[in-house]
Amino acid sequence: MIWLTWRQFRVQAWVTVAALVVLATTLAVTGPELRDLYRASGLATCTTDCGTVLDGFRNQVTASAAGPVFWATAGVMFLLPAVIGIFWGAPLVARELEAGTHRLVWTQSVPRTRWLAVKVAAIGTVAILTAAACGAAVTWWAQPIDDASQNRLLPEMFAIRGIVPIAYAAFAFVVGVLLGMVIRRTVPAMAATLIVVAVVQIALPFFVRPHLTTPVRVDAVLAAEQITGIGIEPDGAMQVASKLTAPGAWELSNETYTAAGTRFTGPADRTKCGPAASYRICREWLNSLGLRQQASYVPADRFWPLQWREAALMFGVTGLLTGFTVWWLRRRIT
Amino acid sequence: MTAVLETQDLTKRYGRKTALSDCTLSLPAGKVVGLVGPNGAGKSTLLQLACGLLTPTSGTITVLGDRPAGGPVQMARVGFVAQDTPTYQNLSVADHLRLGAHLNRSWDAALAARRITQVGLDPAQRAGRLSGGQRAQLALTLAVAKHPDLLILDEPVASLDPLARREFLQALMEFTAEQGATVVVSSHLVTDLERVCDYLVVLAAAHVQLAGEVDDLLASHHRLTGGRRDPATLPGGWQVIEDRHTDRQSTVVVRSTAPIDDPSWTVEPLGLEDLVLAYMTGGGVPAGRPGMVEAGR
Repeated sequence: MIWLTWRQFRVQAWVTVAALVVLATTLAVTGPELRDLYRASGLATCTTDCGTVLDGFRNQVTASAAGPVFWATAGVMFLLPAVIGIFWGAPLVARELEAGTHRLVWTQSVPRTRWLAVKVAAIGTVAILTAAACGAAVTWWAQPIDDASQNRLLPEMFAIRGIVPIAYAAFAFVVGVLLGMVIRRTVPAMAATLIVVAVVQIALPFFVRPHLTTPVRVDAVLAAEQITGIGIEPDGAMQVASKLTAPGAWELSNETYTAAGTRFTGPADRTKCGPAASYRICREWLNSLGLRQQASYVPADRFWPLQWREAALMFGVTGLLTGFTVWWLRRRIT
Repeated sequence: MTAVLETQDLTKRYGRKTALSDCTLSLPAGKVVGLVGPNGAGKSTLLQLACGLLTPTSGTITVLGDRPAGGPVQMARVGFVAQDTPTYQNLSVADHLRLGAHLNRSWDAALAARRITQVGLDPAQRAGRLSGGQRAQLALTLAVAKHPDLLILDEPVASLDPLARREFLQALMEFTAEQGATVVVSSHLVTDLERVCDYLVVLAAAHVQLAGEVDDLLASHHRLTGGRRDPATLPGGWQVIEDRHTDRQSTVVVRSTAPIDDPSWTVEPLGLEDLVLAYMTGGGVPAGRPGMVEAGR
C-alpha cells in the first residue's frame, strides 16, 4: 500500500518539494536583509518617538525585496490549506470512483478501510509536515516585521503564524477526502472543498476563536491620548474611537461610555468640537467629560496558549471527520 | 459438490430501483459459470455483491464460506475483473504488476510476467494507451496472478472486437485448465459464453430465471411443434417456458426431465442461445419460483 500511495502521489510530492525549495530560497535570501533593516532602524532599543521609527522601518521594508515577499508569504499561508484540500484531499477517493479504478484496487487482497487508512495517514502526514515547514519558515522570516507591528493576534495574522497552519492543513485535507468520497466527482469535490475551507477560515476567527480564551475586560477612564478618532454628525451626535492601552492585543469590543454609565453619543459642544474648533480643543473637551472606555480584548501574551487551543480544536474536528470518512467508506460506498 | 457462492433471498436496491430481487442461488465449485441476462438485469450487481464492492440491502451472500471482502484472507481467494476492465491511466503495465505484487500476498510474479509476455504487452506502456483488448488482458492478469479460488469476471468481453474477444476467452480457458478454479463470468450474449461455460445462470428483470448445468439444461428442454392446442391441456410434468400459437399450429418450449413420447408433437432439441432467449423473452416462468433454482443444485 505504501508503494501504491507513493506511486500515485509522487508527482504532487515533487511539485511540493520544488515549491518548498523556491520558498526556502526566497526566505533565506531576503531574511538577512530584513534583519539588517530591523537592526538599523533601532526599533528594538527605541524608547522615545517609536511611532516615527516604526514608520521609517515600514517604509524601508516596503521599498526592499522583503515587502513583496511578506505579502507573498501571507498569500501562501492563507491558500496552503485550501490547496492541500483541493489537490491532495479531494481527488484521493473521487478520482478512483470517477475512473472506476476503486473496483480494481478494492478487490485486491487489501480491505478498503486499510487502503484508505494508509493513504490518509501517509498523505496527511506529508500535508502536516509541509504546513509545519512553511509555517516555521514564514514565522521565522517575518519575525522582525511581526515584532514591529505587534499584530500576531489579529485575525488576519493569527492563522498564518505558529502552529495553527498545521492544524488547518490537516483539516482541509480530510475535508477534501470526505467531500470527494461523498460527491464522487473530482472537480465538484475540489470546488466544494475550496468553499468549505474558505468559509471555515473566514468564520472561525469571528465566531469560534473569541470563545477559546477568556477576554480581559476593561472599564477605565478614557485618556485623551487613547482617542484615535472623533466623528460628529450634523445633528451633533458623536462617536469616539479609542485604542487599548495594552499593546498587540486583539480587540473584541470597545465602547465609549459617559461617566454616568450610558453609552456616549454626544451631543457635541459646537464651540469646542466643530468647524471652528481644532482637534486638540475637541479632545480636551472630551477629556473633561470623564468618558470611560469599556472594552474586552485578548492580550498579546495569550498568542501561544490560543495557538495551542485552536490547533487542538482543529485537530479534534479533523479526527472526527476522519472517523466519519471511514464510516462513510464502509457503509455508504456500496 | 460444495458451493463456492451461496445467496439466500439476496436483494439489492439503489434508492427505489431494485437491481436484484430475492435471489437464491448456489454455485458449485470447479465449474465455469456463465451468468447471462440482458443489460440492466442485475448481473453486475450480483457480481459486485460477490466480491464485496457492494453490500446487500437484504438477504445473505456467502463466498467461499465467508462474507465477501470479509478480510485479507478471503479477498486473496477471490479474483475480480470489473466491467470495462478499469486500470490506472497513468500507471504503466509494469506498475500494475507491481501494484498486484504489493497488494496481494499470494501474488505469482512469474505467472504475471509470463502472461504479459504471452499477450504481447509492453511493460513500459501506460495503461491509458492500451487498446481495449490489451487492457482486458492486463486486468485478467492482475486477477489470475493472485491465484484465486474463485475468479469473477463482469462482462469482460462486452466492449471488445471479435478477435480480442476470442483471445480473451482463450486466455480465460487456459487459466481454468491450469488452475482448476471456479470461474463466474457474465455477458449479455450467451454466444460469448457457450464455449467456455458448463454451468449457466440466467438473470432477467432482477430475478434469477434459471440455473443449472449446461448439459442438464440442454437435455431437459425441448421445442415441440404440432397442431394447435390449448396450453392448459399439456401434461402436468411439463413446464411451459414459452408458447406461440398460430391458427393451425402451436410451438412450445417445455422443460421436462422425462422423454417426450407423444407422437403428435415434432420434438427438436434446443440450442443454448434459444434456451436462454426463451427464458429472457418468454417470461413464461414466474420469477423466483423455487423449482427453477432447485434444479441447479
